[in-house]
Amino acid sequence: MLSRNLRIACRRYSQSVTTFRTSEISPAQQNSNQIGLFYTLDNDLCKQLYGHGGLPKCFLKQTKTFTETTFMIRQPALEIIECIKATDFNKPAIRYVLHGEEGTGKSMTIAHLLHYAHQEGFLIIHVPWVSNWLRRVSRYKEMANSLTKEGFVDIPLDAAAWLLHFKTQNQHLLKSGELKVSKDYEWSKREKTPAGSTLLELIEHGIVRVKYACDVVDTLLHEVKLLSNTKQCKTFVAIDGYNGFFNPLTNLHTPTKKKVAPEEVTLTASFLELTKNDWTNGVMLLSTDAIAHPEYEQESYLPKYLLYRKGFDHIDPFVPIEVSNYTEKEFMTCASYYRDRLWLRGSPDIEKELKITSAHNPYRFMELCAPL
Amino acid sequence: MRNSLYVFHKLCVNITPGRWPSLLLQNRLYAKYFPDFFQNPIFRKEDQAKLIENNELSKYTTVPVLPPSASETSMHFDPLVNKVINHIMKDGNKKLARSLLEKAFENVKRKQIERYHLAKTPEQKAKIELDPKNILHKAVENSKPMLQLLPIKRGGITYQVPGPITEHRSLFLAIKWLLEATTEKERTVHFPEQFAWEIMDAANNTGKVVKRKQDLHRLCEANRAYAHYRWQ
Repeated sequence: MLSRNLRIACRRYSQSVTTFRTSEISPAQQNSNQIGLFYTLDNDLCKQLYGHGGLPKCFLKQTKTFTETTFMIRQPALEIIECIKATDFNKPAIRYVLHGEEGTGKSMTIAHLLHYAHQEGFLIIHVPWVSNWLRRVSRYKEMANSLTKEGFVDIPLDAAAWLLHFKTQNQHLLKSGELKVSKDYEWSKREKTPAGSTLLELIEHGIVRVKYACDVVDTLLHEVKLLSNTKQCKTFVAIDGYNGFFNPLTNLHTPTKKKVAPEEVTLTASFLELTKNDWTNGVMLLSTDAIAHPEYEQESYLPKYLLYRKGFDHIDPFVPIEVSNYTEKEFMTCASYYRDRLWLRGSPDIEKELKITSAHNPYRFMELCAPL
Repeated sequence: MRNSLYVFHKLCVNITPGRWPSLLLQNRLYAKYFPDFFQNPIFRKEDQAKLIENNELSKYTTVPVLPPSASETSMHFDPLVNKVINHIMKDGNKKLARSLLEKAFENVKRKQIERYHLAKTPEQKAKIELDPKNILHKAVENSKPMLQLLPIKRGGITYQVPGPITEHRSLFLAIKWLLEATTEKERTVHFPEQFAWEIMDAANNTGKVVKRKQDLHRLCEANRAYAHYRWQ
């Protein structure tokens, strides 16, 4: 009896050791047979998609140590890909909301889906982490009162950085020059963007003239909506830490030391306008994260709590998608991947302990393996 | 007999110190959860196998046993690592001390894995030690001094007299020196980073700590003439 159990255990272990990678590098072709397996990303593509943010910091460290970037294929990403494939793009854009406990892989799911969107030729509008704008106040944070909107606050440097991010992510679509601005925009007496100029010119203007970056972002998002409506491009919106837009206060303050609410920031207004479902031919992927919530110890990780009433109403018809902890199989493939990358060594019994101490949580598992 | 003593202990603990000061001087002033005759648990499989091999298992069957502490039962528990954590610890903040050491281990591991991937031939790769725990063991082993200098007063003059050192003290000195070398750093460098460098250096038989050990040995060699003061 004992030997039989041992044999079964051995077989199970050896199976999981042999197959933890898949050669299917195109997310559109991945299917449920490959759940829990890792696929490798091209380095140049990584730089293009996630060069200006998009991968969590701790994961970036791992990619350096492991000398490769690999994503695990997981259920939530596959589910959304299937949904997107079955979507009728003539109907208003559908909003998917990722939620889940801390460290379960919401940001990684977004990263995986960005790869999918890139391959399918979507125009990507990606915000790596909302709280970088509203909560992280670095020493050189620049703030200015908005010139165009009364009572609003601009964060021009962040807006310009985001424009650069947008430009690098969509360079192949923007270079073709088919996406054009619909009407004249006048920035000042001498600077204007005439109707018919390309989106690239608009973006370049925002990057060069940082003063107008926030207005350029607003215009850009508006134009992208129009372009999607007229079927000139299909758009993929991905916003990580979306609930940051609905927090009671930001860490920003005006020169008169008045605290700024998120809705008083021009970027917030633009992105909230974008996430309304009054446009077609697009997909919106939002994530609600407990870390973006102002209270230190959150009561819940569910969207209704994190978004408050206001945010929940704003995105009301949405598809909730839960990102949960590793399943048994995912845990074993992850452990064997770590063994392959030398991140985990020693007797196979260690997995048993780590399974219990990490409670199958991906981030905890990675952390616990670090000093071993 | 022992049990009754234990009860006596407990009684003493409950009594306020003002009333029986003379009695309390000989006893602890704090409560103890388990009496002294409880044995430490033997929970490691290797240790248990050793007991069975030496036929000593029957000795322990009737002895009351302490419950094991949570950290000791882990697969990764290492007595030396635990000792170093206790040396790093300040104000009983063990959680912080442990996290610092773990971060240092992580840094060591990342560096070593990077080196492993850079190495070209399999022989070079085989030489690289990837386990940070082993590196710490090696580092401590390399920084342990074999001799010490004792100040001994003879004829009104204090001589630095070389002599042998106990295993316990040399271990203490090795850990202490490693930590002292780590704290001599730029303010902007964090402890885990510096400690990682120090143990990697010491494991390589280079660095500040090994030099300090060699300096001590040299001084002991120089003061060889005073050695007889140890017993005269």
